[in-house]
Amino acid sequence: MSSDHIHPEPTTFLRKHVFSTDHKVIAKQFLWFGLIWLGIGGIMAMMLRWQLANPGVPVPLLGGLLFPRTGGVIDPASYNTLFTMHGTIMIFLGLTPAMIGALGNWCIPLMIGARDMIFPTLNMLSFWAMFAGGAVGFYSLFVPLGATEAGWTGYPTLSTTVGGVGQGETLWAIAVFLIGASSIMGGINYITTVIRLRAPGMSWMRLPLTVWGLFLTSILNVLFVPVIGSAMILLVLDRVFGTSFYVPASIMSGGTGGDPILYQHLFWIFGHPEVYILILPAWGVVCDLLSFFARKPAFGYRTSVGSMVVITVLSAVVYGHHMFTTGLSAMLGESFMLLTMIISVPAEVLFFNWLHTLWKGSLRLTTPMLFAMSVIFVFGLGGLTGIYLATIGTDIFLHDTYFVVGHFHLTMAASALFGTFGAVYFWFPKMFGRMMSEKLGKWHFWLSFVPLVIVFCIMFISGYAGMPRRYYDHTSVEYLRPLQHLNVATSVAAFLLGAAQLIFVFNFIKSRWWGKPAPQNPWDVGTLDWTIETPVPHYNFKTIPVVQCGPHEFSNPVLGPDTDWIYQTEKLPD
Amino acid sequence: MSMLKTLLPSFALLRSRWLGCPLALMLTSTWALAQDKRWGPGEPASDYGDRFYDLFWLITILVSVAFALVVVLLVIPVLRDRARPGHRASFDHGKSLHDKRLTAIISIVTFIVLDAWVLVIAMKDLREAYWAIPDAKDPQTYRVEVLAQQWAWNFRATGVDGEFGTADDILTINELVVPLNRPVSFNMTSKDVIHALFLPEMRLKRDVNPGAINEAWFKPIKEGDFTILCAELCGFAHYQMYGKLVVLEQGQFNEWEAEASRLASTAFDADDTEAHWAWDWQE
Amino acid sequence: MNTTGTIELHGDAPVDHAPRETGRDRVNATLGMILFIGSWTMAFGTLLLSFLVLRDKIAVWPPAGIALPSAPIAGFATLVLAASSVFVERASRSLALAPAVGADRRASFSSLWITGMLLGLGFALLQAWLWYDLILAGRTQTSGLYESLFFGLTWVHAAHVLVGLSLLGWALVGSKRGRYGPARRSFISNAALFWHFVGIVWLFLFLGFFVF
Ligand code: HEM
Ligand SMILES: [Cu+2]
Ligand SMILES: [Cu+2]
Repeated sequence: MSSDHIHPEPTTFLRKHVFSTDHKVIAKQFLWFGLIWLGIGGIMAMMLRWQLANPGVPVPLLGGLLFPRTGGVIDPASYNTLFTMHGTIMIFLGLTPAMIGALGNWCIPLMIGARDMIFPTLNMLSFWAMFAGGAVGFYSLFVPLGATEAGWTGYPTLSTTVGGVGQGETLWAIAVFLIGASSIMGGINYITTVIRLRAPGMSWMRLPLTVWGLFLTSILNVLFVPVIGSAMILLVLDRVFGTSFYVPASIMSGGTGGDPILYQHLFWIFGHPEVYILILPAWGVVCDLLSFFARKPAFGYRTSVGSMVVITVLSAVVYGHHMFTTGLSAMLGESFMLLTMIISVPAEVLFFNWLHTLWKGSLRLTTPMLFAMSVIFVFGLGGLTGIYLATIGTDIFLHDTYFVVGHFHLTMAASALFGTFGAVYFWFPKMFGRMMSEKLGKWHFWLSFVPLVIVFCIMFISGYAGMPRRYYDHTSVEYLRPLQHLNVATSVAAFLLGAAQLIFVFNFIKSRWWGKPAPQNPWDVGTLDWTIETPVPHYNFKTIPVVQCGPHEFSNPVLGPDTDWIYQTEKLPD
Repeated sequence: MSMLKTLLPSFALLRSRWLGCPLALMLTSTWALAQDKRWGPGEPASDYGDRFYDLFWLITILVSVAFALVVVLLVIPVLRDRARPGHRASFDHGKSLHDKRLTAIISIVTFIVLDAWVLVIAMKDLREAYWAIPDAKDPQTYRVEVLAQQWAWNFRATGVDGEFGTADDILTINELVVPLNRPVSFNMTSKDVIHALFLPEMRLKRDVNPGAINEAWFKPIKEGDFTILCAELCGFAHYQMYGKLVVLEQGQFNEWEAEASRLASTAFDADDTEAHWAWDWQE
Repeated sequence: MNTTGTIELHGDAPVDHAPRETGRDRVNATLGMILFIGSWTMAFGTLLLSFLVLRDKIAVWPPAGIALPSAPIAGFATLVLAASSVFVERASRSLALAPAVGADRRASFSSLWITGMLLGLGFALLQAWLWYDLILAGRTQTSGLYESLFFGLTWVHAAHVLVGLSLLGWALVGSKRGRYGPARRSFISNAALFWHFVGIVWLFLFLGFFVF
């Protein structure tokens, strides 16, 4: 019963690999699941880019299969379905499992010195709820009366029966609900595990920052995912049972009705923290990786933790910046503008600490390090462009243009994605017992980083030039036609970016089964996960370790000239 | 769909999917690049339009400096501090009071330079321009009621009598005619889903919600034809929900208004309830 | 339980040698449950917030001239649910207070717990009556915003009542089979916590619809 105890190892295939309660197996399940969905969402992105660059031209390879009725051309409704599902998939089925599910499950117990998550069965349920959500979401694409078309934000009244979107919208809402349930279960597990199962000596200020990021993310998950859950329940009630929570009286036949703007509030009360849900683990990983590979302590550990905590708190009160054009009162608008800008203070602290960690280090530019450093670059771009959108004066014009698309892809998509890549390259040896190819890794990095920056930076130009997002075809409007060259350029870079991911797929598959066997500690890092042998035994730690020092004692002079690192289980020499 | 129909024949040659598509990509890109290009939103045509331009570039300058700093601080260690035999990283937890002070100073200074400055200007812009809805009682103010629907813009002006809901109301679809140099004030709502009125040359954007009336305004300072777009996803023809904004010099406008009002009165059909969607002006 | 964290393996075979629940386990389980309830508080908080926002859209509250759910029945249901919570809590405590006492304690646990469950079932029936009454009067969830709110929110709540009753039932079966008892009572105390939460949510719904 007690979670410090060693559970007997399961013997049947089903209990060992499918309905496993072992956090390591669940981590791998989440990883595969997330990567596959990232692939599907990525292919959708490629189709979107195809249509934008070549409006009305059949999609090569997949077109005939997916859009037989139009001879391979994406029709406007399908285009809407594609970006809706692309966004939903990337966020909820791609990054959430790969970043939070896989990384959280792998790192938390191993890095804090626990034998498993505190509630193993809940952990298993969390994966299978996510799986069910994925299945429902996938099925929603094929329901006879049409898939969802209302955007990942699903604003009513478009998403209610008034809007005329496909019946798949209901299933979409149910899928989001299930995935949310999964995130909450995961969050409860992570929080309790970190609070209760830290090994002796693992004080809060000795936790690797990865764990801090995951811990704070879990708090946001537990608090704000339920909000979207309730919003989805009301949406389903409106769609299926004919209630009028989101349908205003002017549209309802009987005299009274609800309020579509209510949904926007609920959605963004969740939606803004969701951005931080995705980015906090990436920040944690970046903090750690920078220190690991600069062979220097993470600069300002406490202020980093502090600013992540402050951002976690602030993320709950800035959501209104998504609604500046909705019709917020002047007072609300200005308050949200101010609050949003205040977030830049803790963010600056993080940047300062990252850059300072690198300063006068001894940099080992491995693939995980490159990805970690690129997050500084990419998140810097994304974060700074946020200022334009936080400022109502500029947001009025930029809202719902490609400027926004560029901004949120850099902040949440690219940063979280590169953080995930860095983490995968870094923990792969421990996870699968083999090394990934560094050479392919570097190719993958450069061929992802450069096109990605090009793709999303061009979007800033398009947005500044007034190109609205969620448009099936910009060439149909005279004002937008002279911008088409930007669309074409974006798409060419996007295809490069997409193609570069094949290198990752190849590297991942090849290394998984045929890679070089990994030593116990290939990176010379002292956190607890690297103190145990590879492959990690079923019970992780034979003896629960006793932690003697922090995770980042790199290049400490007391270690002497021969080594620049020390395990957390070792005592620093005096 | 009509877009598809016009475009498809031109690609008829390329319908063979395997060969045609790479080719099509190249052709369309050339075609697209050959169009007259645009890299920005164009000259503003409203009196507050310059404010967007000014603020945008102010932020751009500030942000560029900040980002350049980040990149420099990122690149220097990469060039200078690479791992090599005999090189050891300096050991620094960054815990000293001095470090904390430095962190605090840098973040507060950046906040003031980057955010506070912009914030002050933005507040000023909001009060003086975007949110300074003109007085509807002022005869100078040209009032327009907007009813959005999937997928069209319905506009209603008072006509010569200056009253909404009368026989001479000028009703137009996807085309709005306004006088030059007079504030145009909108009352907007939607029949079905959320839309957003986007007048890019005027630097105006405002959501149009069902069940509520939103206000917005601008003052055109240029004659000519401009663009009306929808900027909130409203269904599969969202991208086709565009229209034309015509700004006429006052004399021409008066002629147009008188004529349109007269036509409206003659065409007025008291039984056509669909057409009677006017509401009392709201402020 | 060794708190210094040095748990040795017994030979080669890792075994689970703790059939009993330790105080530490209980804290873990309670903490998990509290987090869960915190999360669910946000979920119902969202619904209540929506309720407050939407209620503002109804000119007269409660709406005049239409059939409304019966306040006396709802009030009675509130009392029944409160009583149910009290019994469940007493049952749960009876395990904690005297873990050493055996079969005799278990008997008193069962009778208290079953009373609590029956009262809970009674609440569910009263809730059904409220709905039935309203439907007989020709009002359904599609009739208007008031009905949307009333039916929608009470449905969601009722779903939790059913989940709560199932948990209580599962705990009862478990205690009969000896799976739960004074030495392993986390599941029982957590089920009781959940049940109180369901009760508190109802209290807010009751206040919102019938009192203020
Ligand atoms: C791999 C490169 C990617 C490309 C080329 C890409 C491209 C696009 C495009 C073209 C759109 C449609 C924009 C519009 O019409 O409004 C879009 C929307 C979106 N993307 Fe991506 N995307 C990529 C990766 C990601 C990732 C990793 C995420 C994960 C968070 C993501 C999240 C979203 C979201 C949330 C939307 C908004 C969907 C909506 O408007 O409802 N994307 N993306
Ligand atoms: Cu946000
Ligand atoms: Cu639209």
